Amino acid sequence: MDGVKAGLVLFVVALLQLAVLTQYSAFRTSSIVLVALLSIALLRGSVFGAVAGFAIGLLLDSATLGTLGVSSLLLTVGGFWIGRYGETTARDRFHAPFLSVAVVTVLFAFGQLALQFLLGEPAPAGLVVQGLPLGLLLNLLLTLPVYTLVRRMFPPLELGDRVREVRLLG
Amino acid sequence: MPRNRTVRLAVLGSSVQRTAASGYPSSRSSALKRRIIVGGLVLASLVLITVSFRSSALDGAQGTVAGILRPFEVAADRISRPFRDAVGWTHGVINAKSENKKLRQRIEILSQKVIQDESAVQENVQLKAQLRYHGPSSIRDFVKVGAAILTHPQSPIDQSVTIATGTSSGVAGGDVVVDPSTGGLVGTVDRAWSSVARVTLLTDGQSAVTATDLTYPSAIGVITRGAGGSDVLVLDSVAKSTSVGIDDTVITAGTLGKGALPFSSMFPRGIPIGSVSSASNNDVNPFKNIQVKPLVDFSSLRSVIVLVPKA
Repeated sequence: MDGVKAGLVLFVVALLQLAVLTQYSAFRTSSIVLVALLSIALLRGSVFGAVAGFAIGLLLDSATLGTLGVSSLLLTVGGFWIGRYGETTARDRFHAPFLSVAVVTVLFAFGQLALQFLLGEPAPAGLVVQGLPLGLLLNLLLTLPVYTLVRRMFPPLELGDRVREVRLLG
Repeated sequence: MPRNRTVRLAVLGSSVQRTAASGYPSSRSSALKRRIIVGGLVLASLVLITVSFRSSALDGAQGTVAGILRPFEVAADRISRPFRDAVGWTHGVINAKSENKKLRQRIEILSQKVIQDESAVQENVQLKAQLRYHGPSSIRDFVKVGAAILTHPQSPIDQSVTIATGTSSGVAGGDVVVDPSTGGLVGTVDRAWSSVARVTLLTDGQSAVTATDLTYPSAIGVITRGAGGSDVLVLDSVAKSTSVGIDDTVITAGTLGKGALPFSSMFPRGIPIGSVSSASNNDVNPFKNIQVKPLVDFSSLRSVIVLVPKA
């Protein structure tokens, strides 16, 4: 059930980004898809985050007719990493979504740049660095509403449903 | 054992032998499962990148998915249009007064220019007929195919848009794309599928167009993206001795033959690109430093016209 809900949420968010938000040049530096994905990954864990990241990356690459797999790779790693953070140290911490979004926004931008460079396509680092502060700010502003909505749809799991790697002794 | 030992010491220094970590079968297997899944997804992404980059094997599937997404994107655009119009209307009302004054002044200048241009066009037609002149192709040699923009550039690196037309309308890779409102050059079709196509914008790092100054036709060079960002283009390879004036209009140079001659251009002659914003010489650059302000506002494109060569 969570999978279907996540699929629908990410599909709607991807459409919003592809067809509406990126019409405004300011929003080309930010990504509501990234914010939604990280929110879901924080609440549902690493495997869920990685699978969701791969799927939505594939959708974005297909819609923009770009090189398939580029967004998938970056979003899979991002979703997994933040999901792992959510499973371990980020539990019930207010700053967790903001910190996750800030870190992954920067890494995503440079990851995209590195992949472009490796593929032999134009990789203007100056443009990326120039647009990064605005992108970071917009993503952080989007985090609160998006995370609140996602948290309503995906309430945090009970302790027993989470991973059982950390055991309390005594 | 000392009496004042800490809890940490009590644990670390304890002589009690613990049983060897047996591990939790469930957690071990879940960790392994997790690693396998993520490793598989990363591997799948790398395979996709390799296949997509090196061959066109996935083009069909990609085009199909893009075609399926097209109605959803159009619907999302339509739903958001009233909000966008409201923002545009508010912005328009605020700027209307100052804009009105500027436009009135511009109308006066342009009215005088139109009269001069009309007589020049008539003269040009007569002279061409007398000389039986066959020049480079012009826009009249192309069929105009209009298309809405489906997706805009998704990041500062990305300088491409997808449009809602494709091979079913005769569009093919390399076709020239212009802005319907200004007639300015937008870019070229990079790849075309049956109902969608990807357009590489003029602001892409790999774009290069042979262009000339309309006022000084001997100033022929290549338009490329400027280093400062997408709002500035550079007219490169223009000799230092050539005259170029500020605010001169830069148009596509076009050439005879289509790709056969050196410096030949697939662009028809006369498509406006922008106006010269600065021109200078320095000792480092063997050519003139010419910056061009694009005519097209690439950030607010809503639709485009694809120029399909007449059969």
